[in-house]
Amino acid sequence: MKRRTLLKASLQLGVTGLLFPGIAISAYPTGAFLAKDIPDALREAFGTTDIGESSKIEIDAPHIASDANMVPVRIKSGFENTESISLVVTGNESPFTAYFKLYEEQNFVSTRIRMADTSDLLVIVKADGVLHTNKRPVRVGRNDCGES
Amino acid sequence: MVRTLKIRAYETDGQVIVKSVINHPMETGRRKVKKTGKKIPPHFIKEVIVSRNRRIVMEAFWGKSISRNPFLSFQIPGRKGDTITISWLDNRGNTDSASAKVR
Repeated sequence: MKRRTLLKASLQLGVTGLLFPGIAISAYPTGAFLAKDIPDALREAFGTTDIGESSKIEIDAPHIASDANMVPVRIKSGFENTESISLVVTGNESPFTAYFKLYEEQNFVSTRIRMADTSDLLVIVKADGVLHTNKRPVRVGRNDCGES
Repeated sequence: MVRTLKIRAYETDGQVIVKSVINHPMETGRRKVKKTGKKIPPHFIKEVIVSRNRRIVMEAFWGKSISRNPFLSFQIPGRKGDTITISWLDNRGNTDSASAKVR
């Protein structure tokens, strides 16, 4: 048992420490991912819930998602010096979904997410130390045609 | 170990566009086995680290709401011939990494 935990620890070190020595790695924001409501998640992740809205963040997602388990999302930040991009799905049990920390001049990420229900996608961008947010509603199609 | 990562990277106008797919079940812990009603324990990727020429360019922290076989795409500055390395770590301590040359 002990040997296994040790092995695991060394493997984790392998990913974070040994492969890229000399670079500080930020910690996994456990609190934000465990939070059950949005203010809690924001407080855990950013230390504040007071975030200004901005239309400079472009969120590209389907208006109606046919597969709730695979909703493609593309996020583009219009800010220079974008430091991080976070994605929050307001209708999910644990709303905080993803946190991308960017170390170079980057402003675009894209992934696929699960949505429990029709709700808003909330994107929070940190640029030059200031937080900005924008949201986008997504309807989730119930895939129950022909089942009943 | 089975290969879990697919990476494509190509350059246009000094921007490298990277597209990748990770093979991973991404269990949320809420799904049940239909026959027994038992819950399948959570098994998901927590952390993805991307580096270009051995320098970290991006860290992604994920929760359970990322889809199965996660798709990840992003843009970074760079040029042809650069090496993009992606590694992931899941909540059970499994990890894998792979590299691709920018075309």
